[in-house]
Parts: sequence; C-alpha cells; structure tokens
Amino acid sequence: MMANEAMVRGALEADVKLFAAYPGSPTSEILDAFAETGRQMDLVAEVSSNEKVALETAAGAAMAGLRSMTSMKSVGMNVACDSYFSLAYTGVKGGMVIAMADDPHAHSSQSEQDGRFFGPAAYVPMLEPSDPQEAKDMVKAAFDLSERHGVQVLVRTVTRVNHQSGIVELGELGRTPFKKVPWPHEPTRFITVADRARAFKAGMLGRTAALEKEFESSPFNRIRKDVVPGGKRFEGTGIVASSAGYNYAVEACRLMGLDLPILKLGTTFPLPRRLIFGFIEGLRRVIVVEELSPYLEQNIRALAKDVNPKLEIAGKGPGLFSEALEYNPNIVATVLGKVLGLPTPVDYAGVLERAKRLKEGLPNRPPTFCPGCPHRGTIHALRKALRGVKHVLATDIGCYSMAPLEPLRYGDTLLSMGASLGVAEGLRRSVEEPVVAMIGDSTFLHAGIPGLVNAVHQRADFKLVLLDNAVTAMTGQQHNPASPHEEDDAAQQRIDLDALVKGLGVADVTVIDPYQIKDTPGQIKEALARPGVGVIISRRDCALYGDRNKRRKGEKIVPNKVDKQVCKRAYTCVRDFHCPSISLDADRQASIDPALCDGCMKCAKLCPLGAIQSTQGSMAGRQEGSKGTGQQGTTGGA
Amino acid sequence: MSKNFSLMMAGVGGQGLVLLSNIIGTAGAIAGIRVITGEQHGLSQRSGSIQVHLRVGPDVRSPLIPVGSADAILSLEALETLRYIEYLKDGGVAVINKRVMHPVGETGELVNDKTRQYMGLEQVVERVGQVTNHVLTLDALEVARRAGNALTENVALLGAISVLEEFPVPPEPLKGAVARMVPKKAVEVNLKAFRLGAEAARDRFCKELACRGD
Repeated sequence: MMANEAMVRGALEADVKLFAAYPGSPTSEILDAFAETGRQMDLVAEVSSNEKVALETAAGAAMAGLRSMTSMKSVGMNVACDSYFSLAYTGVKGGMVIAMADDPHAHSSQSEQDGRFFGPAAYVPMLEPSDPQEAKDMVKAAFDLSERHGVQVLVRTVTRVNHQSGIVELGELGRTPFKKVPWPHEPTRFITVADRARAFKAGMLGRTAALEKEFESSPFNRIRKDVVPGGKRFEGTGIVASSAGYNYAVEACRLMGLDLPILKLGTTFPLPRRLIFGFIEGLRRVIVVEELSPYLEQNIRALAKDVNPKLEIAGKGPGLFSEALEYNPNIVATVLGKVLGLPTPVDYAGVLERAKRLKEGLPNRPPTFCPGCPHRGTIHALRKALRGVKHVLATDIGCYSMAPLEPLRYGDTLLSMGASLGVAEGLRRSVEEPVVAMIGDSTFLHAGIPGLVNAVHQRADFKLVLLDNAVTAMTGQQHNPASPHEEDDAAQQRIDLDALVKGLGVADVTVIDPYQIKDTPGQIKEALARPGVGVIISRRDCALYGDRNKRRKGEKIVPNKVDKQVCKRAYTCVRDFHCPSISLDADRQASIDPALCDGCMKCAKLCPLGAIQSTQGSMAGRQEGSKGTGQQGTTGGA
Repeated sequence: MSKNFSLMMAGVGGQGLVLLSNIIGTAGAIAGIRVITGEQHGLSQRSGSIQVHLRVGPDVRSPLIPVGSADAILSLEALETLRYIEYLKDGGVAVINKRVMHPVGETGELVNDKTRQYMGLEQVVERVGQVTNHVLTLDALEVARRAGNALTENVALLGAISVLEEFPVPPEPLKGAVARMVPKKAVEVNLKAFRLGAEAARDRFCKELACRGD
C-alpha cells in the first residue's frame, strides 16, 4: 500500500466523515483514493476549487463536530494558510487532520519549501511519519489528538514518504453511518478577532504545553538501540532523525555496521523537550539527519545550551549535510564516515564520477507534452502568431509549465497558481513588448479569477490564453468545477468558463480548437491585435483524459503514418512541435511510432507536403485496438 | 527471506513502470515477502524519464537504493539504463529492453545537425559493460507482439527477470499478481507475455547466470 493510500485508510479507520482537497503532487493519490472510497462508503469527498476552500470546507465540518480531513502539497498550504492560522485560534470540535506534503528535490513543485515551520508558526501539533505503516497509524491517532485538544493536526510528509509503498497492517474499519449534526449555537465560539483572538491565544499556549506533555510519552517518538546488534559502537555518539531522514539514517548505520542509538522523532511540534534532553544529556556528539532546513538541529542546539553546552552537533551547521535536495542512504553513510573517521562500504564518490563519464552524450529526457496533447497545438499556434514579434509570456502552473523547459523553451515567468495574471499586469505596466498570460482551466478557477478581475478593472491590454482541457490534467486528470459531468456526478453544477470570463467583464472572448493548427495562428493573431483585455480560450480535452473516454466508449485510437515517398525531410513536424511519437528513421525521414501516436492529426495538418496520413482503413488501428490497455498506470492512482 | 535485494527499474513515462512495480509489490504480499518501493508520480510521467526503486530484505529501510548498490537494473527502454547506471553495483545484473525511444530533444538536435546520430543500444550495452559483465538484452516488444499485445512489454520483461535465481519474488506469486492487477480482458495475454519473456530469457541469460528451475 502506498503511504498516500495508507493515510486514507487511517482516516477511514478513524471514521472520517468529510474529505475535501485540491490535487497536487505528491498528495494527489490521497484525493484519488478518497474519491474512490466516497463512492463506496458513507462519507462526503469533495474536490475543491483550491486548497483554501478545501481547508475551510473541512474546518466547517470540524466546527460542527464531524471528523474531517484535507490534503495538500507544500505550496498548496501557502494558499490555505490564511484560514489555517486563524483556525488554530478558534480550534475545532470534531477531529480535523491536514495532510501536508513537502517536496525535497522539487520533483514536481516550484520550490523545496520546508512546511515544518507551519507547525510552530501556528501552534498546531505536527506529526511526521516515515513509512506507510506510520502514515496510517499517525493519521488515525491524529483524529483523536485533534478532538481531545480541540485543534487541527498537521501530518507532514515528504515525497519519498508519500510515494513509498510497503506492507501495512490494517486496523478495524468501524464505520458509522453519516449523520448531520445540530450546530451548537454558542455565540463567538468560532469567531476570532480582537479580544476574542487575545483570549484564544492564551488558550493556544496552554494547549501547546499540554500537547508537549502528552508527546513526551508518545509511541511515535522512540529511542532505538537495536539498529545493528553487535555492530561497531561509538560511546557518546547518537543520531536524531525524523521523516524520510530516519529511513536513511537506519540504513546508513546498517551499511556502515554501526550500532548507534537513534532518537526517532514522530511528533515534531511541539517537540518532546524532556525526551530530547534525556537523549542528548549523556552524549558527546549528536548527528542530526533531516532533509531541508535545520529545524530539529536548531531546536537541539537551543536545548543543548541548557543541558549539555559542550555537545557537538553534526548536521547542516558544520556543512556536513546540505539544506538542498533530498537525501539517500549513501549521503547519510558518507557523513557518518566523515564524522567517525570510517570508510564507506562502497566508494560512492567514485561510483558517481564513473557514472558521469558513462552518461556523456546521453540525451536528456525531461517530461514533455503527451502525444495528442492540445497544449502542443496551442503553443505552436501562439508562437506562429507572434513570429517576429518580441513578446513576454507569463505562464502558470499545470502541464503547460513544461513549455519553458527543453525542447520548447517558451515562456518567461512562472511563479505560483494563478500568478500569470498578476505578473502580466505588472509586466504590461513595465515592459515595452506586448504581454501574454497563459493559464489552464483548473488553475484559473483555483486562483486566476481575482487576477482577471483586476486586469479588467485596470483596463489592462494584455491577452490571456486560457487552456481548457476539461480536467486537472497534471495531477492525474481529476475533475475541476468546469469539467464535464460524469453519470454519477449529476449533483454538481458545471461552471461555464465562457460565461464566467464574460461575466467578469471581458468583452473580447475568442474560442479556438488547438487541433485546427492551420486556422489557429490567424485567429490568435487577430485576437492579439485587438485592444483591451482579451481572453483566448483554447478548448480541447486533455489527450490522456480524452483517450480514456474513447476507450470507455469502445472507440479506436488510430495512429498516423509517414509516406516515405512523399516526405522530403522538411521537419515541420519536428521543429517547434516535438511530439514524442515522432523520431527520424535510418533515412533521416520522420517516422511515427504507432504505439505512441494519438492520431490527433496536428502533425498531418502541419506537413507542407501532406506526407502524414491516418492509418484509418490501411490497418485496423492499433494492435489490440486501444492505447494503454492496462499497461499504463495512470498518473494518479496506479 | 534473509537476503537483501535491490532492483532499480527505469523507463519512460507511459511504459507502465509503476504498474510493474505494483505487480512485484503485490506478488511480494502474496508470497509474504516485504517489498518496499519508491516511485515517481506527477510531472515525471509525461513521457519523461522515470525510475522506481524496489527493495526486499531484512536490512532494508530506505525506499531509495544507495548508489553502487543495486543488485540488478531492469530497463524498459535502453537509454534509461545509462541514466541510472550509478545505482548498479559492480558485477550486478542489467536486464535491458532493446527498445530505444528517442527523446524529443535529441530528435530536434538531429534535425538541426545532419551529422549527428541517435545514441543507440550498442553504445548503451558497451557502457553498461564497463560496470558489469552481466548485460542481458531482450527484444521485449517482439516478445509482447508474439504474446498478442505490444503493450505487454513490461510484463514480458518481468517474466524475463523472474528466471534469475537471485530475483527474490518467485514466479507463481508474480503471475498471480499480474492476473490481479491488469484489466480482466488482458489477463491471458499478459500471462502469455510473462511466459514468453521467461522462455526468451532462459535461452539467453541462463548460460551465464544462475536461474530458477522450470
């Protein structure tokens, strides 16, 4: 079971009643698993329009007394944190858990933000699991903790915990039927402002002290002395670790044959200070293994001042560990070797050096738009419409965030969800060139609307390209408020994007089909030439989503082929297009991989010689008829 | 199970690597073997390079394999073997699909520079050969087609690596997991791909490496 699924299991065992979230890697599978469960079990599971709305939805339920949960990635917490901080003041009645995942190495995020500071900054208790079993157990325990102390609980993970799979021992499900509850009607119970806020603050301090006392004996903190029985011992040396760092520390000890005591911290706010005192008191040296910021290290340094001022703290301070990127067992083993003067079992630096040599000339393979992706068509058309015109493109968060990467290298700014519009406003006020903003449907609904309202109000003159591919594609094609209905979702109202944009005061709205790659550059050019704020809605289903729908309906996906007699190596289908299904054959002519081609026909329309045609009629579609029959895990919940 | 085993798996987003990892994990659960994996999701899957760390054994705690320590690397696409070559231990086993999928950036460079050639299987095999003598290649696409579905390439490779004695999860639970994890209508063709992959591997691998009995 993946840790993300294990957290859902923990919540179900705790009889959670409401879940709301916006997808974001590495937490998206939590939402996917809840969406699946929501269909089978008696609970409310919502995909919210953004993380703040999701947190507030969970807060509403928890204020009423129901157990609720939300999940979000590190940067999603930034969106939600306005309400998160205030909620720590009012507290909750029902248990409420926030699963928040940081992304060391920025695998799929804008930053390596260390969210652990959200715990102490808001006086909110924080638990940190290191494997799927702990993820389940901690989420379950967090509901009880939350309810007893009347405050939401943060369960903080990192990518390498969320996407770790292992065997999980399950507890009883013990579900009870969903039942609405009467509102308690206690005036000002959930109102925090001025003197109410001051009163709450005193309560928070008392609550935190009580939590610390409880955490002193929490089973989630433990001192392990059995990591390598009979291994080499260094009297006076110990390790403090948490989260993924704990896994690497344990394994590094085993690699090095070291029998060092390890204090494993699972409750990282408030820290169990007496437990830490007891551990470091008799030590000469402590090695702190934690990714990103020196959160534990600084706390231990402060604590050591009182009980053991001579304690040597080996961590990021002396530059042994980096504050950047994620760790692994060999990084930790290397530090242990350095600190203790021991050789590592493998010459890691030598291995990496040789690998670097062996990889010379190996072409990069960054993620890129899928075959059939509508964004490839939109971006191609936009560049064509603006050929020869210097311009600035403010882009946003979604699959189209890949446009500035190799090989397209198109786009100038990328900050955060919805930022393209605000940045474009600042740019159009400041730069000589024309400004274009680009945003996806889901991101627009998440945080783009206020930016467009502002642009209309300011009588801005930039254009917004709104990529409407029907779903939140990047994170696994989840539904968003503008997605088409599915049979079982009839209870939801679909947001009409065109009407919304017009309703915000945009008079100039152009709708294009990115597959019509011959017509779109002209349409875009015309739209760009008109004055004022304009929105170009480029509408076509995400290819992954569209193909899945086709398969469901039994429709075949028919790939294209290149006619070698006609192809004169113009490479129009390669340059500025870069479809993964197109490569060059031995004659350096374009060649289409029928196993990858989506049959979208964009390249066929681009080819000046008409060398690309559908295989319709010439063969019965792809082998076995459809793309991906079970062999491709979906991005979301495979 | 007292031995540790680390398998690095590499491929291209969309090739079914995560499914393969789930199959091995499920097979481990069926056989009572604790398998832990570290996967990639999200951005990494858009036709980009993708890796899965798969680990078994009493000393294993980290989902990530230390560099220079993987007992084997299994690559669904040849170039991706090189991308993660630092993980393979000296003398480890490399099971490489002969399939090469040219990255879009490389094709772009070929178009701009007429003298440039794609990196190919031979270069990969030669370079991996500098780390280990056990480089085993297999045309998994051909095997998959013989099984009746080109998309069973990943399961064909699983069948191939399953013949190695060192591979910690036995074939029966692997087959059980395949049957459980792939769509119902594709079970038969996948099990055939597994069997054909194993047969092809026996001919090629078992001369130089210890294999399981039939």
